[in-house]
Amino acid sequence: MDRIIQTLVDAISVGGLYALTALGIGLIFGVMRLINFAHGELIMIAGYAILLMFGLPLWLVVAGALAAALVLALAIERAAFRPIREADPPTLLISSFAVSFFLQKTMILFVGSRPKGVDFLAVLARQVEIAGARLQLLQIVTIVVSAVLLVGLTWFLKATRLGLEMRAAAENFSMAQVLGVRANRVIATAFAISAVLAAVVACLFVAQTGLVQPRMGLQLVVIAFVGTVIGGLGSLPGAALGGFLVGAATILLQALLPPDLRVFREAFVFVAVALVLLFRPQGIIPAHGLKERI
Amino acid sequence: MTGTGEMAPLLDVRGLDVRYGAITAIHGVDLHIHAGEIVAIVGPNGAGKTSLLSAIAGLVKPVAGTISLAGKSLAEVGLENVVRHGVAMVPEGRNIFASLTVLENLQLGATIRRDDAVAGDMEGFFSTFPVLGERRNQPAGLLSGGEQQMLAIARALLSRPRLLMLDEPSLGLAPRIVEQVYEELERIRKDGITILVVEQNASRAFGLADRAYIMSHGAFTLSGTPEALRAHEDFDAAYFGVSVTGDSPKSWSGGA
Amino acid sequence: MNIEVRTSAGSATAFLKGEVLRRLWPLLCLAVLVLAIGLLADLAPTVLQRRITQGLIYLVAVVGLYVFVGNSGVLSFGHVAFMAIGAYVSALLTMSVAAKGVFLPDLPIWLKSAEWAPLAAAFVGGAVAAVVALVVGFPLMRLSGISAGIATFAILVVTYVVIGNWSSVTGGQNSLMGLPIYVGPWTATAGALAAVGIAFAFQESRSALLLRASREDEAAAAASGVNMVRHRIGAFVISAFLSGVSGVLLAHFLGTVRVETFYLDLTFLIIAMLVIGGMRSLTGAVAGAVVISALTELLRQAEVGFQISGTTVAAPGGLGDVVLALLMLLIIVFRPKGIAGGREVSWPFRT
Repeated sequence: MDRIIQTLVDAISVGGLYALTALGIGLIFGVMRLINFAHGELIMIAGYAILLMFGLPLWLVVAGALAAALVLALAIERAAFRPIREADPPTLLISSFAVSFFLQKTMILFVGSRPKGVDFLAVLARQVEIAGARLQLLQIVTIVVSAVLLVGLTWFLKATRLGLEMRAAAENFSMAQVLGVRANRVIATAFAISAVLAAVVACLFVAQTGLVQPRMGLQLVVIAFVGTVIGGLGSLPGAALGGFLVGAATILLQALLPPDLRVFREAFVFVAVALVLLFRPQGIIPAHGLKERI
Repeated sequence: MTGTGEMAPLLDVRGLDVRYGAITAIHGVDLHIHAGEIVAIVGPNGAGKTSLLSAIAGLVKPVAGTISLAGKSLAEVGLENVVRHGVAMVPEGRNIFASLTVLENLQLGATIRRDDAVAGDMEGFFSTFPVLGERRNQPAGLLSGGEQQMLAIARALLSRPRLLMLDEPSLGLAPRIVEQVYEELERIRKDGITILVVEQNASRAFGLADRAYIMSHGAFTLSGTPEALRAHEDFDAAYFGVSVTGDSPKSWSGGA
Repeated sequence: MNIEVRTSAGSATAFLKGEVLRRLWPLLCLAVLVLAIGLLADLAPTVLQRRITQGLIYLVAVVGLYVFVGNSGVLSFGHVAFMAIGAYVSALLTMSVAAKGVFLPDLPIWLKSAEWAPLAAAFVGGAVAAVVALVVGFPLMRLSGISAGIATFAILVVTYVVIGNWSSVTGGQNSLMGLPIYVGPWTATAGALAAVGIAFAFQESRSALLLRASREDEAAAAASGVNMVRHRIGAFVISAFLSGVSGVLLAHFLGTVRVETFYLDLTFLIIAMLVIGGMRSLTGAVAGAVVISALTELLRQAEVGFQISGTTVAAPGGLGDVVLALLMLLIIVFRPKGIAGGREVSWPFRT
């Protein structure tokens, strides 16, 4: 029984992490129809910020991670994505890929490609006992933080002016502009929020793995992409749900598959994804207005 | 009776050319609208009516020509700022935000407003259109076609525009609903707002407008008062058109 | 295309021949270019020869990717997976029994004892890749452009995970060595010529024309009844075959296969070659492969360093990748259609 609880908590905690990552990607896609491959590099830079500032008080380290991700996100938006804002989807996709590759390789140029260990938030590695199951404090924190951020983001989108403008822009960008909504403001906000999400994910992920490396964002982002596709591209609840489900699935499969097949669990996840797409290509929670044009 | 005053026009479009790649949508269009007028532009599908409105609204950049509102050029203003200069548009197909509530749609209409009268204006719309008031917290996608059209108009009016442009407001609506929409436009005119209506359906637009232009194949072929145009012997030819002659539109005032 | 029958004798056939020549002109130009590169490789010193040969192999891969991307307009991040499949299948079929005993002791008997001829194994490698593309294509090609592109990324990852962990059959993360090395400059040239020929033939076909016409507007295409899914799958399968063959060539050029080779770095390289050359034309694909191969060679030299008055001046390791990514971004922003601008080699004479 406690094994089941442990696995469930594990699944929910990992699912939460991937849900946050998928949201970061989904937000940008919603307003710009751009898949931000470089989201992984936002997580990466936040991770290296943690490495750099390790030893300083916690709030400073987290602030440093946030700042690093924010600066990089806004720089990417300004330098790489704004000039091509009107381009067609394949061009946007490749540019995003190129930006991601560029950032990764530049990082490797400066710090090398070997992983570096960092004992971040070691205090959370402690175990607590709940209902007879031994759970890691970090997992509980991950679940709580994910939930808080999800609620916070939902509130922001529903209750604030900027959130309203973002939702409008996501449904029909040019109509929003015709009403006077400023494109740059909305897009910059999307990038900023996505940077915050990336920094939080980085903190939790580094705490969990104890490692920082140039490729660290990749694993999270690959699964998160798939999650956004399943959940429904352009739909934020869909992205969160899809990311959560796929993330949780990797853990559940680990527990449910026979030992020989466990290494293939990612393959199983992706195959399951393909099946979902086969029967419901628009995703679980389809977005409104994906084909809208004035 | 010419129907035009001696003052400068509110909207002044000259020599407008709009192209999409190799396709010329509009060629050499001159349009002027005076404050308080209702002008209709009528023509078949593909005549270039939507392109004209899109160019004025800033959705598409013309390759030649000028567009000015009250003397100020709208050309370099940018899509997001056209509404700040006083031009509001209700595009074809309404384009309300289906996933947002009725209230949220209206709030977006007030994006450029900084004053306190917004809430009062909204209440005004809710009393004029009780349906919108009842459904203010429901997703706008649940409204009927006619209700969405009213919402789109109310949304556009919330920016307190000087010029309201409507692209085919009767499209896809039952005749009874079209009546309601046009009655609303009559009411708006009494508030002093200048209106530019684009329609395929000439008759209803003619009933509303002070002046009208016939557009065909990217250019104006005739212009004048609705009565004069209806009586004009070349009306059908002008409406369905053959080719762009490059001549300036024949102005028919049918009288003095 | 109307063929005018003129009154003066002989000019009708001349006209016909002229038309044929004009239509085949891009193919002829590219074939001559490839042959010239092959000749260059043959004459070059050993190290350079190896680099050029590898460039020709990459050309096959880029052309393979182009057949799908250029015609359907859907970006694929998964084609390197087909290279991997082709490479591994051919490796398994051609490795000596002795080598298999060393590296893959747990292989099923029928595979373990197989020692096929290179050409057959190469063909089967490509064919298996094509079959995988067919199976995977059915669900994926129904997706809209962006989702399909992302889903192809999943193909890459799944293939990487499966090959990387199926140790009994593939050796997992370890290299498989002892593959017969039969790919030299002329084999690579032959492969490149064949790839260019197949790609050209395909893009002139009705299926490809329909694909390209409906590429711009999915809604319009669906409305006009064109079964885009079927045509997309067709392009996908052919392009997978070519990619598979390029994987085969790479495997039998290096003499080893390792799953790590067939992942993100190679994916980026191939895509960069196609984007920089121009995604919309075969000329673009070839141009991209040639230009980027030359550039990476230069950059590699820079990383090795030059001798200047006794000291070695070298660029930091990894600079090549950064430059490549930067170049790709610059092209996208300033010349999005790539070097070839979406056009084929143009007929230089007046009609």
